Amino acid sequence: MKESLMDILCDPLDKSDLELEVDERDGDEILEGRLVGTVTGEVYPIEDGIPNLLPPDMRDD
Amino acid sequence: MTGDDLAERRGMETDVYQPAEDSGLLAEAVVERGRGRFLEVGTGSGWVAEQAATEAADVASVVATDVNPHACRSARERGRAAAPEGNGGIEVVRANLLDPFADDSFDTVAFNPPYLPTDPDNKWSDWMERALSGGETGRELIDPFVDDVGRVLAPGGVVLLLVSSLTGYDEVVERAERRGFDHDVVVRESYPFETLSVLALSGK
Repeated sequence: MKESLMDILCDPLDKSDLELEVDERDGDEILEGRLVGTVTGEVYPIEDGIPNLLPPDMRDD
Repeated sequence: MTGDDLAERRGMETDVYQPAEDSGLLAEAVVERGRGRFLEVGTGSGWVAEQAATEAADVASVVATDVNPHACRSARERGRAAAPEGNGGIEVVRANLLDPFADDSFDTVAFNPPYLPTDPDNKWSDWMERALSGGETGRELIDPFVDDVGRVLAPGGVVLLLVSSLTGYDEVVERAERRGFDHDVVVRESYPFETLSVLALSGK
């Protein structure tokens, strides 16, 4: 994902803002890291460039 | 609709829904009406999102979602391949419907929903079944989508929603009207077992 995507993403649980933590980049592409709910504290992983923003109760598939 | 019917319809593919007649109709509507910031919900293979990124002249950027991780990877690969010729490729987000998107984010939202009415005893057992089954009414995912889509749509935006006659066309239109949308039909085709329409919902 690109960092500009942050403008339109929100926490699926309560629509509050997310904070981006980056572990690995490739140019302007974020490959590994996580998005953290600023209100809920929920952690949503970014793996292979794809943020997983499923709510926690749907994530075990 | 039984598990065997679904198995027959799915053919060999068990992980990611591949482009079919319904995808072609939605892509046609997207090329005609898509513009600005574009979202495809439930992108499957990512083919319609790719059409938006490469063929729709008025589309500026493309985001695609799916609940299925295999579909997300497929769409991301397509986006990477298409990026040089299109408008920046496809941003892929694993998501349930519109849950992780902020208000007023998109000028166009497209959705080819799982819509086949399915026996409630027929448990969702694999990804392909989830790509096809719309629950007992066929509208199990359409209803929450129609209820929430006005939130993420920017003022003046348009929703392009594929509706099958199997799902109950009138029920979908009524629900959209209750949510304050005007509607028109962008494309419509009849097939042996169903008629497919792409509805444009607007007037937010």
